Amino acid sequence: MKIEFTLNGKLTKVEAPDSMNLLNLLREQLGLTGTKCGCDTGDCGVCAILLDKSLVYSCLVPVSHLEGHQVITIEGMQNLDGSLSDLQESFLRNGAVQCGYCIPSMILAGEALLLQNPNPSHDEIREGISNVLCRCTGYQQIIDAIEETALIRKNKLKNQSEKDMEIAND
Amino acid sequence: MTELKYVGKRSRPEDGLEKVTGKARYVGDYFLPEMVYAKVLRSPLPHARIVKLDASPALQVPGVLAVITAEDFINHSNFGWPVKDAYALAWKKVRYIGDPVAAVAAVSEESARAGIQAILIKYEALPVVSDIHHALDPDAPIIPDTDAPGTGNLTNSHLVRFGHPDPILENCDVVLEGTYFFKHQEHAYLETEGALAIPEPDGGLTVYANDQSPFINRDNLVTLLGLPVEKVRVIQAYVGGSFGGKDDIGYQSSAQAGALALKTQRPVRLVLTRTESFLASYRREAMEIKIKLGASKDGELKAAKVNLLVDSGGYASMTPLCSWRASVHAAGAYRYQAVHVDAKSVYTNNGYSGAMRGFGNPEALGAIEQAVDELAYQLERDPIDFRLQNCLTTGDVAMTGNTVNQTVNLAECLRMVQKRSDWDRKRNLYASNQAGTLRRGIGVACYFHGSSLGGEGADYATTTLKVEEDGLITLTSGLTDYGQGSRTVFMLIAAEELGIDIARIRIMRPDTQTGIESGPTVASRATMVGGNATRVAAQRLNQVLYWAAAKAFHCQPNQINRQGEIFYSPNEESLKFDEVTSLARRMGLSLYVQGKWQMPVFTWNFDTGTGVPYHCYTFGAQVAEVEVNLESGKTRMLGVWAAHDGGRIIFPQGASGQMYGGVAMGIGYALTEHFSYYQGYPQSLNFHDYHIPRANDVPPIDCNFIQCDHVDGPFGALNLAEPMMISTAPAIANAIFQATGKRWRTFPLTPQVILKGSDNPDLDTSNACKRGLGIPA
Repeated sequence: MKIEFTLNGKLTKVEAPDSMNLLNLLREQLGLTGTKCGCDTGDCGVCAILLDKSLVYSCLVPVSHLEGHQVITIEGMQNLDGSLSDLQESFLRNGAVQCGYCIPSMILAGEALLLQNPNPSHDEIREGISNVLCRCTGYQQIIDAIEETALIRKNKLKNQSEKDMEIAND
Repeated sequence: MTELKYVGKRSRPEDGLEKVTGKARYVGDYFLPEMVYAKVLRSPLPHARIVKLDASPALQVPGVLAVITAEDFINHSNFGWPVKDAYALAWKKVRYIGDPVAAVAAVSEESARAGIQAILIKYEALPVVSDIHHALDPDAPIIPDTDAPGTGNLTNSHLVRFGHPDPILENCDVVLEGTYFFKHQEHAYLETEGALAIPEPDGGLTVYANDQSPFINRDNLVTLLGLPVEKVRVIQAYVGGSFGGKDDIGYQSSAQAGALALKTQRPVRLVLTRTESFLASYRREAMEIKIKLGASKDGELKAAKVNLLVDSGGYASMTPLCSWRASVHAAGAYRYQAVHVDAKSVYTNNGYSGAMRGFGNPEALGAIEQAVDELAYQLERDPIDFRLQNCLTTGDVAMTGNTVNQTVNLAECLRMVQKRSDWDRKRNLYASNQAGTLRRGIGVACYFHGSSLGGEGADYATTTLKVEEDGLITLTSGLTDYGQGSRTVFMLIAAEELGIDIARIRIMRPDTQTGIESGPTVASRATMVGGNATRVAAQRLNQVLYWAAAKAFHCQPNQINRQGEIFYSPNEESLKFDEVTSLARRMGLSLYVQGKWQMPVFTWNFDTGTGVPYHCYTFGAQVAEVEVNLESGKTRMLGVWAAHDGGRIIFPQGASGQMYGGVAMGIGYALTEHFSYYQGYPQSLNFHDYHIPRANDVPPIDCNFIQCDHVDGPFGALNLAEPMMISTAPAIANAIFQATGKRWRTFPLTPQVILKGSDNPDLDTSNACKRGLGIPA
């Protein structure tokens, strides 16, 4: 079947078998191997991507559901100039990366959480990333990285609004 | 401790950039032109003789290019160390569900799956050995078919003989006897096992594998495929977690893919499915540990006797060595007058067991730390005070009779977690009458862990450094990184010793053609052994540079001063690093060096059970706080406080990451990870029936390192990856005892155990059989 959807900000047209899932479409047909396969049964979460800004397991999404939707994978997380996003930077700074296999999905899980809740508590971060398994890190430094990014974004917003206020006052 | 420029400072993981951008390539991420896919036919029975195997019908399936059996290898694909009882593909019989029998290469995964289904195979079912207690019965069906070191189903035995515990135990004021049970634990790395084998134009083979030890893999391929060593190259791809789990299974997968690549003359990729990984790979040994422990009424531990019965499963793999490590730790990090340990490992048809983080010590200390706690309660002593009275300190004699001369900070670790966890207040609070459904408790455990291989084998590593023409320095190590951060550690050590900007250092991927053979990457030995080798290489390179600078300055090398990359003469003349390397080249000196480091030699006598098992140890303690729901049986973790005594920390974020990850793995081991077999049928086939901790199962972890400069370590560092999980499970069991007043002496402490005392919650034989038989291809 023919499908048109937005992948990492670009309109993408593909032809794929109806039975194919998004995970295989990304990895085998589109060459985007940043999205990993850990179980193929929707239990581990290392294939998670953003579908219309929500975190979903790509192994459970049939390609037929993609028409007209927006998909973001780890390949679409860097800034437009190619530099790392603040969340990616924060993962590195906090030592949140060990074997790295779950990290693409963890970064997307963090991004999905911060989109919905820009100011999450520790427990909310734990809940927010609990759909993605990690065997190496014990999650602590991943949680630290997401928390730090929330703080950076909050300060940025605050500085921005202060600047806006100054401009308005001038 | 003196402050250093790189060592001990915040730094980024060397390969982090590739990992956070999704660019790191794991085996399953390789797609080559003409690449074909391999699938493996696996045994649906736990124990059977292969009476007929005709693989040729697979070749009739469209898309199938080749099929192999044991007969396609040298010596029926027999391999293995320390016991040579394994096969790349089973020969004549199968010994567990998931045992590989044949493999197919085809143009697509679907064709490969159809190919293995077309293979004609007939089994004659044999009686199954599933209960370790009956494995050595005179009428037990015999599982091994090669010369095992024991007889019948005995895989191996070990002993420790220090003094004579029997007469001492007879005179002890209190004697505790207990039997402790441990289930298998699955590594559950998120990336399954795999290999990509590429035939070379000269008839050779290159294999990209997610193995732990590429040189062992290469040597196995040489033996099994009959190729000269120079024609086989193994490159370690990025590895998505291992924890001891990607050794033997990795060599097996590589051999299967390798043989198919030679036969098809196409690149062959084999990646196991999750269910295949659960069925076919080895896991932590199940164990039963019997302890007899005596103390005086004033709380002095006197003597211990420990018996270990270990489930090796269908093959030996690393069980002979894991059970040895368990035996030389089995009485714990305490002073005794006498200790005897007897360990036996037996063959069964319960999958097969091998190396996993801690290598027998999580079981050994999981048992003794519960027993010591029970004794402390019997003597009405605070569990931390009781441990402080008895724990090893510098110069004490360990349970194996050897004197521990290194600086021991175990007592400091215990005091650290006591203080950090607010132990005294919480213990008193939870000891007072608790009512209602939710009960809280706090518990402690401590550990020692022999550093590196000890009596398990030759213990060395080699690092190479080369100054390239563009001024970058290339580093290779024969030891590997599967996520634990050793590459970053080697770079930090090299930069520190060379006194250069770390940005100059490029570390190569582990590769048998560029690195130097360094033994296996196991036993948390990379930092200490590989780190020392790196330091030696850097010292050798520095010597060359100092000669060059001294010649230019007309002075002696020892008169030169360094400020970072600048070399200063006694007259304050200066030369930059790049100028010095150019001078060295012009002098005709080589800027390629190798540094080898070997652990000091010591001896353990396996026949008498005496000697020195390890050159040195790491120590530590953990406190766990829990809340048990008496109605649901569920345990909620409230917190873990951990302190580790492992010398100087080289890469702080990496070290903390090891501690957090180890504690989380210990939480799973204690509460949910239940890999069991019923009549040889595995009860877990995927993550929905094997639960590793999710982010919301793990509490805040308080991470502490008691640092000192250890005389043998690089910049004073010892090691830390494995020990981090050892104390977590017993600390949790001891906390659950305070909360509930009960000890079950078994792991995991699932709700079924808490509510019913039974640890066999889901032995649904019909379902298990069906699922076992329905092995996905």
